[in-house]
Amino acid sequence: MKVLVVSAHPSPTSFLSTTRDAVLIDLVQSGHDVRHRDLYAEHFNPVFSAFERTNHNEPIAIKTNVFPELVGHIEDLQWCEALVLVYPTWWSAQPAMLKGWFDRVLTRDVAWELPEGAARIRPLLSNVKRLVVVTSHGSSKLVNAVQGESGKRIALRSVRLMLHIRTKTRWIGVYGMDNANSEKRSASTARVRRQVKRALA
Amino acid sequence: MRDAAVKGLERAGHEVAVIDLAADEFDPVMSHTELIAYNTGQGVIPEGLEHYVAMLWEAKILVFVYPTYWSGMPAQLKGWLERVFVQGVAFKLNKNNKVRPAMQHVKHICVISTFGSPYMYVKFVNDNGRRIVTRALRVSTGLRTRVSRFGLYAMDTATHDDRQKFLLRIEKSMAKL
Repeated sequence: MKVLVVSAHPSPTSFLSTTRDAVLIDLVQSGHDVRHRDLYAEHFNPVFSAFERTNHNEPIAIKTNVFPELVGHIEDLQWCEALVLVYPTWWSAQPAMLKGWFDRVLTRDVAWELPEGAARIRPLLSNVKRLVVVTSHGSSKLVNAVQGESGKRIALRSVRLMLHIRTKTRWIGVYGMDNANSEKRSASTARVRRQVKRALA
Repeated sequence: MRDAAVKGLERAGHEVAVIDLAADEFDPVMSHTELIAYNTGQGVIPEGLEHYVAMLWEAKILVFVYPTYWSGMPAQLKGWLERVFVQGVAFKLNKNNKVRPAMQHVKHICVISTFGSPYMYVKFVNDNGRRIVTRALRVSTGLRTRVSRFGLYAMDTATHDDRQKFLLRIEKSMAKL
């Protein structure tokens, strides 16, 4: 399977980043074709600019002419069959880095189209048939439930609706990291690796 | 929308301070150094962001104005929350390392947003931008903090009239706060 991993964590040595590295090795060993986008490592700019806003409904070429760095991201997205998102949950949702990747890369003619006269957008990413989300939470599952898990809905509903109609989704959440010892961390890493493998089998 | 809100609030006699993140060219990316400070320090306010914190501490009413993208707020605003609402500003940790609120001075939160999609679609995917502010963030404010929300839906097909009506509604409601 063609797998695109998009990760956003400021620290290359964090729990999440080391787990991601292990997952990447697993994926290659399982025979998947893997591409990886580390948004922090490539200094991705997540700010949706005034120019992009003004040309929101214009052909994609107008935007990529000004922001050539988006081309690779768009190609990867249109290439993959499985999308794996790896990020820490901050304020109940994706970090600005990843939210901005959604804002800027999932544009018209890439993720959706708005046919003449239609009131709502239609999905275009029918090549993506699996969506896996790996995310860590500092607080407990209970606190996150109170806070509403907005990131879960952004990924599994808003973004998910742009993918293939029968896309299978898998939510892999790690909770309570603020108070986790190294034992719990390595157990969590092992669980994440198992679950990603199974989700993409 | 922002100007309508300011006009309404000023009519009600409130003192209004405006933060325009796009004009400030605010960088929403939390850096590695900041994350380390966030995780270890108490009240570590990133350099250059002190004025935002000062404004936040003064505020009794917080009004968020943004377009909704992918059912959430734009990255620029999301990053502002991440970088400014740090430990010692928005919350503190008790001795059991549990998060406790630190923004009890905020009595009212307003969320004003536009949506490309119609109301039913937004209901279905959930209005996550508002949810981040009124649930995740609200946990850091007082228990009795009230919430108001205003949305203009189906922007892709909204007429000039719809927009004008919406602006008036914002101004009127703000003038009552």
